[in-house]
Amino acid sequence: MSREALQESLSAVMDNEADELELRRVLNAFDDPQTRDTWSRYQVARAVMHKDLLIPRLDIASAVSAALAEEQTPVKVVRGPWRSIGRLAVAASVTVAVLAGVRLYNQDDIVGVQLAQQSGQPSLSAPMVKGPAVLANYTENTEHGTGPMANGVLQGQPGWQDQRLPGYLRQHAEQAALKGTESPLPYARAASLENR
Amino acid sequence: MRVLPLLPLLLSGWFAVPAHADDAQDWLKRLGQAEQQQSYQGTFIYERNGSFSTHGIWHRVQDGKVRERLIQLDGAAYEVVRADGRTECVTGKVVSGLGDVADTTARQLNLQRLNDWYSVTRTGDSRVAGRPVVVIALTPRDQHRYGVELYLDRETGLPLKSLLLNDKGQLLERFQFTHLEITPPDDSQLKPSGQCRPVAMADDASPTIKPAHAWHSDWLPPGFELLSSAVRRDPKTKSEVTSLMYDDGLTRFSVFLEPLKGAAVADVRLQLGPTVAVSRHLTTPDGDIMATVVGEIPMGTAERIALSIRAGQAETPSQAKP
Repeated sequence: MSREALQESLSAVMDNEADELELRRVLNAFDDPQTRDTWSRYQVARAVMHKDLLIPRLDIASAVSAALAEEQTPVKVVRGPWRSIGRLAVAASVTVAVLAGVRLYNQDDIVGVQLAQQSGQPSLSAPMVKGPAVLANYTENTEHGTGPMANGVLQGQPGWQDQRLPGYLRQHAEQAALKGTESPLPYARAASLENR
Repeated sequence: MRVLPLLPLLLSGWFAVPAHADDAQDWLKRLGQAEQQQSYQGTFIYERNGSFSTHGIWHRVQDGKVRERLIQLDGAAYEVVRADGRTECVTGKVVSGLGDVADTTARQLNLQRLNDWYSVTRTGDSRVAGRPVVVIALTPRDQHRYGVELYLDRETGLPLKSLLLNDKGQLLERFQFTHLEITPPDDSQLKPSGQCRPVAMADDASPTIKPAHAWHSDWLPPGFELLSSAVRRDPKTKSEVTSLMYDDGLTRFSVFLEPLKGAAVADVRLQLGPTVAVSRHLTTPDGDIMATVVGEIPMGTAERIALSIRAGQAETPSQAKP
Protein backbone atom coordinates (compact mmCIF):
# COMPACT_ATOMS: atom_id res chain seq x y z
CA MET A 1 0.00 0.00 0.00
CA SER A 2 1.42 3.35 -0.95
CA ARG A 3 2.21 5.92 1.64
CA GLU A 4 0.13 8.54 -0.23
CA ALA A 5 -2.94 6.37 -0.31
CA LEU A 6 -2.69 5.77 3.43
CA GLN A 7 -2.26 9.48 4.11
CA GLU A 8 -5.29 10.26 2.00
CA SER A 9 -7.26 7.70 3.97
CA LEU A 10 -6.03 9.20 7.23
CA SER A 11 -7.20 12.61 6.13
CA ALA A 12 -10.55 11.20 5.11
CA VAL A 13 -11.00 9.49 8.51
CA MET A 14 -10.18 12.73 10.25
CA ASP A 15 -12.74 14.64 8.22
CA ASN A 16 -15.26 11.92 8.91
CA GLU A 17 -15.48 11.15 5.23
CA ALA A 18 -13.84 7.73 5.11
CA ASP A 19 -15.69 4.74 3.79
CA GLU A 20 -15.61 1.35 5.47
CA LEU A 21 -12.57 0.16 3.51
CA GLU A 22 -10.49 3.24 4.22
CA LEU A 23 -11.31 3.10 7.90
CA ARG A 24 -10.19 -0.52 8.03
CA ARG A 25 -6.97 0.28 6.22
CA VAL A 26 -6.19 3.09 8.65
CA LEU A 27 -6.92 0.92 11.68
CA ASN A 28 -4.68 -1.80 10.35
CA ALA A 29 -1.88 0.61 9.74
CA PHE A 30 -2.23 2.27 13.09
CA ASP A 31 0.24 0.06 14.90
CA ASP A 32 2.94 1.67 12.83
CA PRO A 33 4.44 4.62 14.81
CA GLN A 34 5.04 6.50 11.59
CA THR A 35 1.36 6.46 10.79
CA ARG A 36 0.57 7.62 14.30
CA ASP A 37 2.99 10.51 13.89
CA THR A 38 1.31 11.50 10.67
CA TRP A 39 -2.05 11.30 12.41
CA SER A 40 -0.98 13.60 15.23
CA ARG A 41 0.56 16.05 12.79
CA TYR A 42 -2.69 16.14 10.88
CA GLN A 43 -4.51 16.73 14.14
CA VAL A 44 -2.28 19.71 14.92
CA ALA A 45 -2.83 21.15 11.47
CA ARG A 46 -6.57 20.64 11.78
CA ALA A 47 -6.66 22.20 15.25
CA VAL A 48 -4.79 25.22 13.97
CA MET A 49 -7.12 25.61 11.04
CA HIS A 50 -10.20 25.31 13.25
CA LYS A 51 -8.57 27.27 16.08
CA ASP A 52 -9.32 24.38 18.44
CA LEU A 53 -7.66 23.70 21.75
CA LEU A 54 -5.03 21.04 21.30
CA ILE A 55 -3.07 18.96 23.72
CA PRO A 56 -0.13 17.79 21.67
CA ARG A 57 1.47 14.44 22.23
CA LEU A 58 -1.46 13.01 24.01
CA ASP A 59 -1.53 9.48 22.76
CA ILE A 60 -4.51 7.82 24.31
CA ALA A 61 -4.57 5.03 21.79
CA SER A 62 -1.17 3.62 22.74
CA ALA A 63 -2.00 3.91 26.44
CA VAL A 64 -5.20 1.95 25.93
CA SER A 65 -3.35 -0.66 23.89
CA ALA A 66 -0.76 -1.04 26.63
CA ALA A 67 -3.47 -1.41 29.28
CA LEU A 68 -5.24 -4.04 27.22
CA ALA A 69 -2.06 -6.02 26.80
CA GLU A 70 -1.51 -6.14 30.53
CA GLU A 71 -5.08 -7.24 31.27
CA GLN A 72 -5.44 -10.81 32.43
CA THR A 73 -7.77 -13.11 30.56
CA PRO A 74 -10.78 -13.76 32.80
CA VAL A 75 -10.83 -17.27 34.21
CA LYS A 76 -13.70 -19.33 32.89
CA VAL A 77 -16.23 -19.94 35.65
CA VAL A 78 -17.43 -23.48 36.15
CA ARG A 79 -21.20 -23.57 35.92
CA GLY A 80 -22.98 -25.41 38.69
CA PRO A 81 -26.45 -26.95 38.43
CA TRP A 82 -27.86 -24.10 40.54
CA ARG A 83 -27.07 -21.65 37.85
CA SER A 84 -29.27 -23.35 35.28
CA ILE A 85 -32.03 -23.75 37.86
CA GLY A 86 -31.67 -20.06 38.61
CA ARG A 87 -32.05 -19.29 34.92
CA LEU A 88 -35.11 -21.48 34.75
CA ALA A 89 -36.54 -19.66 37.74
CA VAL A 90 -35.98 -16.33 36.04
CA ALA A 91 -37.68 -17.57 32.88
CA ALA A 92 -40.58 -18.92 34.90
CA SER A 93 -41.07 -15.72 36.83
CA VAL A 94 -41.01 -13.72 33.62
CA THR A 95 -43.73 -15.98 32.25
CA VAL A 96 -45.77 -15.57 35.41
CA ALA A 97 -45.30 -11.83 35.28
CA VAL A 98 -46.44 -11.70 31.66
CA LEU A 99 -49.45 -13.89 32.37
CA ALA A 100 -50.35 -11.86 35.43
CA GLY A 101 -49.92 -8.70 33.42
CA VAL A 102 -52.29 -9.92 30.74
CA ARG A 103 -54.75 -10.98 33.39
CA LEU A 104 -54.53 -7.71 35.19
CA TYR A 105 -54.89 -5.86 31.95
CA ASN A 106 -58.03 -7.83 31.12
CA GLN A 107 -59.29 -7.37 34.61
CA ASP A 108 -58.82 -3.67 34.22
CA ASP A 109 -61.24 -3.85 31.36
CA ILE A 110 -63.76 -5.66 33.46
CA VAL A 111 -63.28 -3.34 36.37
CA GLY A 112 -63.80 -0.45 34.00
CA VAL A 113 -67.12 -1.89 32.97
CA GLN A 114 -68.11 -2.71 36.50
CA LEU A 115 -67.04 0.64 37.83
CA ALA A 116 -69.53 2.28 35.58
CA GLN A 117 -72.28 0.48 37.36
CA GLN A 118 -74.39 1.53 40.19
CA SER A 119 -74.65 -0.19 43.49
CA GLY A 120 -77.60 -2.41 44.06
CA GLN A 121 -77.85 -6.00 44.93
CA PRO A 122 -74.50 -7.15 43.60
CA SER A 123 -75.02 -10.70 44.76
CA LEU A 124 -77.95 -10.93 42.39
CA SER A 125 -76.57 -9.16 39.40
CA ALA A 126 -76.03 -11.65 36.67
CA PRO A 127 -73.46 -11.32 33.91
CA MET A 128 -75.20 -8.82 31.75
CA VAL A 129 -72.23 -7.99 29.66
CA LYS A 130 -70.47 -11.10 28.51
CA GLY A 131 -67.23 -12.11 30.03
CA PRO A 132 -66.13 -13.08 33.48
CA ALA A 133 -68.56 -10.90 35.33
CA VAL A 134 -66.94 -11.31 38.69
CA LEU A 135 -68.27 -8.50 40.73
CA ALA A 136 -65.94 -9.04 43.63
CA ASN A 137 -64.12 -5.79 43.11
CA TYR A 138 -67.17 -3.82 42.89
CA THR A 139 -68.95 -5.42 45.79
CA GLU A 140 -66.28 -3.92 47.96
CA ASN A 141 -66.96 -0.54 46.52
CA THR A 142 -70.66 -0.72 47.14
CA GLU A 143 -69.99 -1.15 50.83
CA HIS A 144 -68.92 2.42 51.21
CA GLY A 145 -70.88 3.81 48.32
CA THR A 146 -72.92 6.80 49.30
CA GLY A 147 -74.86 7.39 46.16
CA PRO A 148 -75.34 6.26 42.62
CA MET A 149 -72.11 7.98 41.70
CA ALA A 150 -70.07 6.83 44.65
CA ASN A 151 -68.61 3.86 42.89
CA GLY A 152 -69.01 5.21 39.42
CA VAL A 153 -66.50 6.83 37.18
CA LEU A 154 -66.95 10.01 39.10
CA GLN A 155 -65.04 8.84 42.08
CA GLY A 156 -62.12 11.13 42.64
CA GLN A 157 -63.83 14.03 40.93
CA PRO A 158 -65.70 15.62 43.75
CA GLY A 159 -67.84 18.65 43.47
CA TRP A 160 -69.94 19.84 40.64
CA GLN A 161 -70.51 16.59 38.78
CA ASP A 162 -71.19 14.65 41.95
CA GLN A 163 -73.93 17.06 42.83
CA ARG A 164 -75.50 17.38 39.42
CA LEU A 165 -75.28 14.07 37.59
CA PRO A 166 -77.38 11.94 39.97
CA GLY A 167 -80.10 14.53 39.74
CA TYR A 168 -79.89 14.64 35.96
CA LEU A 169 -80.05 10.85 35.69
CA ARG A 170 -83.05 10.71 37.98
CA GLN A 171 -84.78 13.53 36.23
CA HIS A 172 -84.29 11.89 32.86
CA ALA A 173 -85.60 8.56 34.11
CA GLU A 174 -88.59 10.12 35.81
CA GLN A 175 -89.53 12.33 32.90
CA ALA A 176 -89.29 9.36 30.57
CA ALA A 177 -91.44 7.35 32.95
CA LEU A 178 -93.99 10.14 33.27
CA LYS A 179 -94.31 10.67 29.56
CA GLY A 180 -94.38 7.08 28.48
CA THR A 181 -97.31 4.81 28.85
CA GLU A 182 -96.08 2.07 26.56
CA SER A 183 -94.51 -0.06 29.25
CA PRO A 184 -93.40 -0.05 32.87
CA LEU A 185 -89.80 -0.05 31.67
CA PRO A 186 -88.98 3.65 32.23
CA TYR A 187 -90.47 3.35 35.70
CA ALA A 188 -88.21 0.37 36.42
CA ARG A 189 -85.21 2.37 35.22
CA ALA A 190 -86.13 5.23 37.52
CA ALA A 191 -86.61 2.81 40.40
CA SER A 192 -83.19 1.28 39.82
CA LEU A 193 -81.64 4.71 40.26
CA GLU A 194 -83.38 5.06 43.61
CA ASN A 195 -81.81 1.84 44.83
CA ARG A 196 -78.87 2.43 47.02
CA MET B 1 -83.71 -29.78 -14.34
CA ARG B 2 -82.70 -30.50 -10.85
CA VAL B 3 -83.45 -26.95 -9.83
CA LEU B 4 -87.18 -27.21 -10.48
CA PRO B 5 -88.11 -28.97 -7.24
CA LEU B 6 -86.28 -26.25 -5.38
CA LEU B 7 -88.22 -23.48 -7.07
CA PRO B 8 -91.34 -23.63 -4.88
CA LEU B 9 -89.10 -23.56 -1.86
CA LEU B 10 -87.27 -20.48 -3.09
CA LEU B 11 -90.50 -18.74 -4.02
CA SER B 12 -92.16 -19.54 -0.73
CA GLY B 13 -89.11 -18.15 1.05
CA TRP B 14 -89.42 -15.00 -1.02
CA PHE B 15 -93.06 -14.53 -0.15
CA ALA B 16 -92.67 -15.55 3.44
CA VAL B 17 -90.27 -12.72 4.29
CA PRO B 18 -92.63 -9.79 3.68
CA ALA B 19 -95.42 -11.77 5.28
CA HIS B 20 -93.24 -12.16 8.32
CA ALA B 21 -92.46 -8.47 8.42
CA ASP B 22 -96.16 -7.63 8.27
CA ASP B 23 -96.74 -10.09 11.01
CA ALA B 24 -94.24 -8.24 13.19
CA GLN B 25 -96.02 -4.96 12.44
CA ASP B 26 -99.33 -6.47 13.48
CA TRP B 27 -97.83 -7.58 16.74
CA LEU B 28 -96.48 -4.10 17.41
CA LYS B 29 -99.94 -2.70 16.72
CA ARG B 30 -101.36 -5.16 19.22
CA LEU B 31 -98.73 -4.05 21.73
CA GLY B 32 -99.85 -0.45 21.34
CA GLN B 33 -103.48 -1.38 21.92
CA ALA B 34 -102.86 -3.86 24.72
CA GLU B 35 -101.56 -1.19 27.10
CA GLN B 36 -104.74 0.83 26.59
CA GLN B 37 -107.22 -2.02 26.66
CA GLN B 38 -105.94 -4.86 28.77
CA SER B 39 -106.20 -5.11 32.54
CA TYR B 40 -103.56 -7.20 34.21
CA GLN B 41 -101.51 -7.71 37.34
CA GLY B 42 -98.25 -9.44 37.98
CA THR B 43 -94.63 -9.22 39.02
CA PHE B 44 -91.60 -8.46 36.92
CA ILE B 45 -87.87 -8.17 37.33
CA TYR B 46 -85.63 -5.40 36.12
CA GLU B 47 -81.97 -6.07 35.71
CA ARG B 48 -79.14 -3.98 34.44
CA ASN B 49 -75.46 -4.23 35.11
CA GLY B 50 -75.15 -3.64 38.83
CA SER B 51 -78.82 -3.60 39.69
CA PHE B 52 -81.49 -6.26 40.05
CA SER B 53 -84.95 -5.55 41.41
CA THR B 54 -88.42 -7.08 41.49
CA HIS B 55 -91.62 -5.10 41.10
CA GLY B 56 -95.33 -5.59 41.38
CA ILE B 57 -97.71 -4.05 38.85
CA TRP B 58 -101.49 -3.59 38.89
CA HIS B 59 -102.96 -2.21 35.69
CA ARG B 60 -106.68 -1.62 35.28
CA VAL B 61 -108.57 -0.34 32.27
CA GLN B 62 -112.10 0.67 33.13
CA ASP B 63 -114.37 2.63 30.79
CA GLY B 64 -111.34 3.54 28.71
CA LYS B 65 -109.49 4.97 31.71
CA VAL B 66 -106.14 3.48 32.63
CA ARG B 67 -105.15 3.30 36.26
CA GLU B 68 -101.88 1.73 37.25
CA ARG B 69 -99.85 1.14 40.39
CA LEU B 70 -96.26 -0.05 40.51
CA ILE B 71 -94.23 -0.86 43.59
CA GLN B 72 -90.78 -2.23 44.11
CA LEU B 73 -90.97 -5.46 46.06
CA ASP B 74 -87.41 -5.56 47.38
CA GLY B 75 -85.35 -2.91 49.10
CA ALA B 76 -86.90 0.54 49.12
CA ALA B 77 -90.62 0.46 48.35
CA TYR B 78 -90.41 2.76 45.35
CA GLU B 79 -93.97 3.33 44.27
CA VAL B 80 -95.76 5.08 41.43
CA VAL B 81 -99.48 5.48 40.84
CA ARG B 82 -100.59 6.68 37.44
CA ALA B 83 -104.01 7.46 36.10
CA ASP B 84 -104.61 8.24 32.45
CA GLY B 85 -100.99 8.99 31.68
CA ARG B 86 -100.72 11.35 34.63
CA THR B 87 -98.60 10.45 37.60
CA GLU B 88 -100.61 10.85 40.80
CA CYS B 89 -97.96 10.05 43.33
CA VAL B 90 -94.37 8.92 43.63
CA THR B 91 -92.24 7.84 46.55
CA GLY B 92 -88.61 8.65 47.00
CA LYS B 93 -86.89 11.82 46.03
CA VAL B 94 -88.93 13.48 43.39
CA VAL B 95 -86.93 15.99 41.45
CA SER B 96 -88.61 19.24 42.32
CA GLY B 97 -90.50 20.90 39.53
CA LEU B 98 -90.64 17.81 37.43
CA GLY B 99 -91.46 19.86 34.40
CA ASP B 100 -94.60 19.89 32.37
CA VAL B 101 -96.34 16.93 33.89
CA ALA B 102 -99.74 18.33 33.08
CA ASP B 103 -99.36 18.20 29.31
CA THR B 104 -98.34 14.59 29.35
CA THR B 105 -100.29 12.84 26.72
CA ALA B 106 -100.50 9.14 26.22
CA ARG B 107 -98.09 8.64 23.38
CA GLN B 108 -99.10 5.85 21.17
CA LEU B 109 -96.52 3.72 19.52
CA ASN B 110 -95.99 5.39 16.17
CA LEU B 111 -95.36 2.50 13.84
CA GLN B 112 -94.43 4.53 10.78
CA ARG B 113 -91.83 6.47 12.70
CA LEU B 114 -90.52 3.33 14.30
CA ASN B 115 -90.08 1.67 10.92
CA ASP B 116 -88.00 4.57 9.66
CA TRP B 117 -85.30 3.99 12.26
CA TYR B 118 -85.62 0.33 13.16
CA SER B 119 -86.10 -2.76 11.08
CA VAL B 120 -88.90 -4.77 12.68
CA THR B 121 -88.81 -8.53 12.31
CA ARG B 122 -90.43 -11.45 14.02
CA THR B 123 -87.64 -13.76 15.03
CA GLY B 124 -89.50 -16.64 16.63
CA ASP B 125 -91.59 -17.92 19.49
CA SER B 126 -90.76 -18.50 23.11
CA ARG B 127 -92.22 -18.67 26.60
CA VAL B 128 -92.17 -16.04 29.33
CA ALA B 129 -93.87 -16.28 32.75
CA GLY B 130 -95.38 -19.56 31.70
CA ARG B 131 -97.12 -17.99 28.71
CA PRO B 132 -96.37 -18.42 25.01
CA VAL B 133 -94.86 -15.29 23.44
CA VAL B 134 -93.73 -14.08 20.02
CA VAL B 135 -90.31 -12.50 19.72
CA ILE B 136 -90.06 -9.21 17.84
CA ALA B 137 -86.64 -7.77 17.12
CA LEU B 138 -86.25 -4.02 16.58
CA THR B 139 -82.86 -3.63 14.96
CA PRO B 140 -81.58 -0.07 14.58
CA ARG B 141 -80.87 1.11 11.04
CA ASP B 142 -77.97 3.30 12.19
CA GLN B 143 -75.46 3.37 15.02
CA HIS B 144 -77.25 6.09 16.99
CA ARG B 145 -79.62 3.87 18.95
CA TYR B 146 -79.78 0.49 20.61
CA GLY B 147 -81.66 -2.57 19.47
CA VAL B 148 -84.64 -3.97 21.36
CA GLU B 149 -85.98 -7.49 21.60
CA LEU B 150 -89.63 -7.62 22.61
CA TYR B 151 -91.40 -10.75 23.81
CA LEU B 152 -95.13 -10.17 23.37
CA ASP B 153 -97.80 -12.27 24.98
CA ARG B 154 -99.64 -14.31 22.33
CA GLU B 155 -102.98 -13.91 24.04
CA THR B 156 -102.96 -10.20 24.89
CA GLY B 157 -100.01 -8.60 23.06
CA LEU B 158 -98.54 -7.31 26.32
CA PRO B 159 -94.78 -6.97 26.46
CA LEU B 160 -93.73 -9.71 28.88
CA LYS B 161 -90.03 -9.33 28.32
CA SER B 162 -87.85 -6.65 26.78
CA LEU B 163 -84.11 -6.71 26.21
CA LEU B 164 -81.93 -3.79 25.26
CA LEU B 165 -78.88 -4.71 23.19
CA ASN B 166 -75.92 -2.67 22.05
CA ASP B 167 -74.25 -2.89 18.64
CA LYS B 168 -72.11 -5.81 19.78
CA GLY B 169 -75.19 -7.73 20.86
CA GLN B 170 -74.36 -7.31 24.54
CA LEU B 171 -77.29 -7.17 26.92
CA LEU B 172 -77.68 -3.77 28.56
CA GLU B 173 -80.88 -4.33 30.48
CA ARG B 174 -83.58 -6.91 30.99
CA PHE B 175 -87.21 -6.37 31.84
CA GLN B 176 -89.13 -9.60 32.32
CA PHE B 177 -92.39 -10.69 33.86
CA THR B 178 -92.20 -13.67 36.16
CA HIS B 179 -95.92 -13.85 36.80
CA LEU B 180 -98.91 -12.42 34.98
CA GLU B 181 -102.65 -12.62 35.50
CA ILE B 182 -105.16 -11.26 33.07
CA THR B 183 -107.63 -10.24 35.75
CA PRO B 184 -108.48 -6.64 36.63
CA PRO B 185 -107.04 -5.59 40.00
CA ASP B 186 -109.52 -4.27 42.58
CA ASP B 187 -109.55 -0.85 44.19
CA SER B 188 -107.54 -1.87 47.25
CA GLN B 189 -104.70 -3.06 45.09
CA LEU B 190 -104.61 0.23 43.20
CA LYS B 191 -104.63 2.36 46.33
CA PRO B 192 -101.32 4.07 47.00
CA SER B 193 -99.57 3.43 50.27
CA GLY B 194 -98.89 6.22 52.76
CA GLN B 195 -95.37 6.69 51.43
CA CYS B 196 -96.58 7.80 48.03
CA ARG B 197 -96.33 11.59 47.75
CA PRO B 198 -98.74 13.30 45.36
CA VAL B 199 -96.91 14.80 42.42
CA ALA B 200 -99.29 17.74 42.06
CA MET B 201 -98.11 19.10 45.40
CA ALA B 202 -94.51 18.95 44.38
CA ASP B 203 -95.51 20.81 41.25
CA ASP B 204 -97.19 23.66 43.13
CA ALA B 205 -94.16 24.13 45.31
CA SER B 206 -91.79 24.34 42.39
CA PRO B 207 -90.97 27.66 40.77
CA THR B 208 -92.72 28.69 37.60
CA ILE B 209 -91.70 26.93 34.47
CA LYS B 210 -91.30 28.76 31.23
CA PRO B 211 -90.60 27.11 27.92
CA ALA B 212 -86.97 27.02 26.97
CA HIS B 213 -86.01 28.45 23.63
CA ALA B 214 -82.55 29.62 24.39
CA TRP B 215 -80.80 26.46 23.27
CA HIS B 216 -80.74 24.07 20.38
CA SER B 217 -78.54 21.32 19.08
CA ASP B 218 -76.72 21.73 15.76
CA TRP B 219 -76.77 18.02 15.28
CA LEU B 220 -79.26 15.39 16.40
CA PRO B 221 -79.27 11.73 15.52
CA PRO B 222 -81.78 11.31 12.68
CA GLY B 223 -85.33 10.66 13.79
CA PHE B 224 -85.12 12.32 17.18
CA GLU B 225 -87.59 15.13 17.83
CA LEU B 226 -88.00 17.52 20.70
CA LEU B 227 -90.60 16.12 23.07
CA SER B 228 -90.53 18.72 25.82
CA SER B 229 -88.43 21.48 27.23
CA ALA B 230 -88.38 23.20 30.57
CA VAL B 231 -86.38 25.61 32.68
CA ARG B 232 -86.27 25.09 36.39
CA ARG B 233 -84.36 26.66 39.20
CA ASP B 234 -82.46 24.25 41.35
CA PRO B 235 -83.50 25.01 44.93
CA LYS B 236 -80.11 24.01 46.30
CA THR B 237 -77.69 25.57 43.86
CA LYS B 238 -79.91 28.47 42.73
CA SER B 239 -78.84 27.99 39.15
CA GLU B 240 -81.18 27.79 36.21
CA VAL B 241 -81.19 24.43 34.48
CA THR B 242 -82.66 24.05 31.03
CA SER B 243 -83.78 20.56 30.16
CA LEU B 244 -84.75 19.29 26.74
CA MET B 245 -86.10 15.84 26.02
CA TYR B 246 -85.98 14.14 22.61
CA ASP B 247 -87.36 10.86 21.36
CA ASP B 248 -87.47 8.78 18.20
CA GLY B 249 -90.64 6.88 19.03
CA LEU B 250 -88.86 4.32 21.18
CA THR B 251 -85.70 5.80 22.64
CA ARG B 252 -85.42 8.97 24.69
CA PHE B 253 -82.61 11.20 25.76
CA SER B 254 -82.45 14.43 27.77
CA VAL B 255 -80.13 17.39 27.49
CA PHE B 256 -79.43 19.47 30.59
CA LEU B 257 -77.80 22.88 30.36
CA GLU B 258 -76.51 24.68 33.38
CA PRO B 259 -74.36 27.82 33.62
CA LEU B 260 -71.07 27.13 35.32
CA LYS B 261 -70.62 30.55 36.92
CA GLY B 262 -66.87 30.24 36.87
CA ALA B 263 -66.63 26.79 38.44
CA ALA B 264 -63.89 24.62 37.00
CA VAL B 265 -65.47 21.36 35.94
CA ALA B 266 -64.03 18.42 34.06
CA ASP B 267 -65.83 16.66 31.22
CA VAL B 268 -67.38 13.39 32.31
CA ARG B 269 -68.57 10.22 30.62
CA LEU B 270 -70.61 7.71 32.57
CA GLN B 271 -72.32 4.48 31.60
CA LEU B 272 -74.93 3.18 33.98
CA GLY B 273 -76.37 0.01 32.50
CA PRO B 274 -78.32 1.21 29.48
CA THR B 275 -78.14 4.86 30.43
CA VAL B 276 -75.25 7.02 29.36
CA ALA B 277 -74.37 10.45 30.73
CA VAL B 278 -71.93 12.74 28.93
CA SER B 279 -71.01 16.15 30.32
CA ARG B 280 -69.19 18.65 28.14
CA HIS B 281 -67.91 22.08 28.95
CA LEU B 282 -69.08 24.61 26.36
CA THR B 283 -68.07 28.21 25.93
CA THR B 284 -70.82 30.58 24.85
CA PRO B 285 -71.00 34.35 24.53
CA ASP B 286 -72.98 34.47 27.79
CA GLY B 287 -70.39 32.51 29.73
CA ASP B 288 -69.42 28.92 30.16
CA ILE B 289 -72.06 26.26 30.46
CA MET B 290 -72.10 22.56 31.14
CA ALA B 291 -74.09 20.49 28.65
CA THR B 292 -75.06 17.06 29.91
CA VAL B 293 -76.71 14.47 27.70
CA VAL B 294 -78.48 11.62 29.50
CA GLY B 295 -80.25 8.78 27.75
CA GLU B 296 -80.41 5.24 26.52
CA ILE B 297 -78.21 5.95 23.51
CA PRO B 298 -74.66 4.96 22.58
CA MET B 299 -71.84 6.95 24.16
CA GLY B 300 -70.52 8.32 20.86
CA THR B 301 -73.92 9.67 19.89
CA ALA B 302 -74.38 11.34 23.26
CA GLU B 303 -70.95 12.89 22.96
CA ARG B 304 -71.73 14.30 19.53
CA ILE B 305 -75.01 15.78 20.73
CA ALA B 306 -73.31 17.39 23.73
CA LEU B 307 -70.74 18.97 21.44
CA SER B 308 -73.42 20.33 19.09
CA ILE B 309 -75.36 22.34 21.66
CA ARG B 310 -75.57 26.01 20.64
CA ALA B 311 -77.12 29.08 22.10
CA GLY B 312 -80.16 30.57 20.41
CA GLN B 313 -82.94 29.06 18.39
CA ALA B 314 -82.41 26.70 15.54
CA GLU B 315 -82.86 28.51 12.23
CA THR B 316 -83.70 25.38 10.32
CA PRO B 317 -85.16 22.14 11.54
CA SER B 318 -82.03 20.92 13.18
CA GLN B 319 -82.24 17.25 12.48
CA ALA B 320 -81.85 17.13 8.73
CA LYS B 321 -78.21 16.17 8.65
CA PRO B 322 -77.51 12.51 9.38
